[in-house]
Amino acid sequence: MNETDPLTGQTSPRYHPLPQPDEIPERDREDAMGGYLMMFAAVASSLPLPIINLIAAVIYYYVNRKKSRFIHFHSLQSLLSQLPTTFMNWGLLYWGIMVWTSDNWTFDDYFKGYIFAVVIANLMYVVFSLIAAVRAKKGRMYYFLFFGKLSYDMVFSTSNTLVYKGERSVPTENKPPF
Amino acid sequence: MMTLEIKHQEQYSRGELLLRSLFGLFYIVLPHVFLLFFVAIAAQVLSFLAFWVILFTGKYPQSWFEFQVKNMRWNLRLNARIYNLADGYPAFGLNAQDEHVTFDVTYPEQTSRGLTLVRALFGIFYVLLPHGFILWFLSIGVMFVQFIAWWAVLFTGKYPASMFDFVVEYLRWSQRVSLYLGYMTDTYPPFSGKPDPAPSPSQATDSSGDQTSETNA
Repeated sequence: MNETDPLTGQTSPRYHPLPQPDEIPERDREDAMGGYLMMFAAVASSLPLPIINLIAAVIYYYVNRKKSRFIHFHSLQSLLSQLPTTFMNWGLLYWGIMVWTSDNWTFDDYFKGYIFAVVIANLMYVVFSLIAAVRAKKGRMYYFLFFGKLSYDMVFSTSNTLVYKGERSVPTENKPPF
Repeated sequence: MMTLEIKHQEQYSRGELLLRSLFGLFYIVLPHVFLLFFVAIAAQVLSFLAFWVILFTGKYPQSWFEFQVKNMRWNLRLNARIYNLADGYPAFGLNAQDEHVTFDVTYPEQTSRGLTLVRALFGIFYVLLPHGFILWFLSIGVMFVQFIAWWAVLFTGKYPASMFDFVVEYLRWSQRVSLYLGYMTDTYPPFSGKPDPAPSPSQATDSSGDQTSETNA
């Protein structure tokens, strides 16, 4: 995908080229895979709170994002895709506590329906994350619905100014007048 | 292959010894333990996840392995001061180095899946119980040795070599058990705190996998 300069008519690529599996070191693949495994952090820390997974994913993302674009993409996709299920889980936790403690809240069909929706969302999230983890370990890209494109855009776009290990930093001192 | 060496100093500072003994809890232990608590949570999470990764891939992710080694190194730096084995203030941070404490673990390219499963299920019986039993008695010995050595350092400024070795061997033994139970080595920990025999030059790579370990005892 290229971008055309309106003045000169020259085209410049809007996205960095994607690394191919044989170009990605084993270590990078492992680190990329690790991002998806952070969804089990709550189990590992023995704290069944929905926020633990998110904290782990955020820390993992910030520790690893500068290692390579491939790792950055996968850890970002993992982090972003956790948000909906995390909020849903929080909602379930809150609703459950209210049903348990308050007389005004009842275990009605709405609540049952919500539980069902949360379980399905979590199952889908786990299955797709495991597929993505396996693909990352193989050095492959895997795009989630919506979050895949968003992550790709944020990481591989030429407007991303993050400097990665081993990549030459792009000088930004000289800028166009508009 | 694990290397744990603590430098036996010619002379120990009596002033530092007193300072550590009286206020060490506040200016050494508490700040380090506070930070290490969070590092330990991360290490526990990674260790749990590494178990599953090993089961499926037969390999401990190298970055996670290095994180665990750095965490252990930080703990050892702190322990060296708590046991009065080294002077100076232990450096903060996972990447910090220490002139007195050397700790390296060779990264295993492959980890046995079967052994990993056996360790997770029965490790408590065939590792933790036998080693823990002996280490518990050794820890009592270390307590007495530490008490005597404290007076020796206070009056002579020297840590008796045999006592020093006893405490270091206790730490080395404990560390080997931790490595084995943490799936970081497939070698069953020996019932001894003696250092590992020196490796051949081709085998000697540290946890980063790119340097030759020169500090092996």
